[in-house]
Amino acid sequence: MQPIRYVDALNRHYASLGHPPYRWTINDSAPFVKLSKPLAECTVTMLTSGGISQCSALPWNAEARNDHRLDAIPAGAATDAFQIHDAYYDHRDADRDLNCQFPLDRLRELAEEGAIGRVADRVWSGFMGRIYDRTRVINESAPAFAAELEKDEVDLLIAVPA
Amino acid sequence: MGLVARVVEERGIATVCISTGRDLTAQVMPPRTLFVNHPMGNAFGAPGDVAMQRAILEQALNLAVNADHGGVLVDAPVAWPTPFTFAPAQSRM
Repeated sequence: MQPIRYVDALNRHYASLGHPPYRWTINDSAPFVKLSKPLAECTVTMLTSGGISQCSALPWNAEARNDHRLDAIPAGAATDAFQIHDAYYDHRDADRDLNCQFPLDRLRELAEEGAIGRVADRVWSGFMGRIYDRTRVINESAPAFAAELEKDEVDLLIAVPA
Repeated sequence: MGLVARVVEERGIATVCISTGRDLTAQVMPPRTLFVNHPMGNAFGAPGDVAMQRAILEQALNLAVNADHGGVLVDAPVAWPTPFTFAPAQSRM
C-alpha cells in the first residue's frame, strides 16, 4: 500500500471548513549530531504526542489545540496503568496495549538485555494534538524539554508522534 | 514532533522519530525518521505483537546508530495486513 498523502487530505479538509490554506513548515536541511557513545552505553528516553497519561494523572484534553503541557513519566511505570484521550487518531489498539504506540515495555526489555545502556529515569508525553503556535514550540517548549533531557543525561530521544 | 526533535538535536542530543505520515514528516525534516506504513495509533504494530513492536523499535535504534547526516528518512520494511484510510472529518481534526 502506498503511503497515505496526509498533506493533500488535510489541505482539502481545511478548505472544506473554509479555513485559509495551512502554512506547513517545510525544511530543506536538518540538524545532526552523531550518537556520542555505543548504543549499549546510551541512556535512552521516549516522547509520545498521543494524548497518553498515567491513570494517576489528569487525562489529556482530547480536542486539545496549542496545549504545551508536558508530563514526565517514571520510566518504571506499569504500561497497564495509562489512559489515552486524543480525538485525532484511533487509539483503540493502544488502549489495549500501550506498546502499540508507546513501547515502554519493549524499551525496558532492550535495556535489561544490554542492547541499550539504560532507560532514562523519565519518559515523556507532550506536544499533543495540534500545536499551531510553532514559534513557541521552537523558542520555549522544546528548549525547556531539551533541558530536562540534559538533566537526565539522555543520549538518545525516540520521538513518536500519533 | 519533528520540530521538537530538531530543537533537541540542536542542543546536542541525538533523536530518532517514528512516523506514520511520510509526507508530513518529510516536509518538517527531523534529523532521523523511520517511516512505518501503519495506521496512526499503531506505529509499533498490533496489540500483543511483541515481535513487531520490538522489531520496529530496534530499527529505530539502528537508524540512530547508522545515520550519517541530518534529514535521513528510512522506510521500515513492514506492511499493515489490511488497507487503511485517513478521514480527518471523522477524527474531528
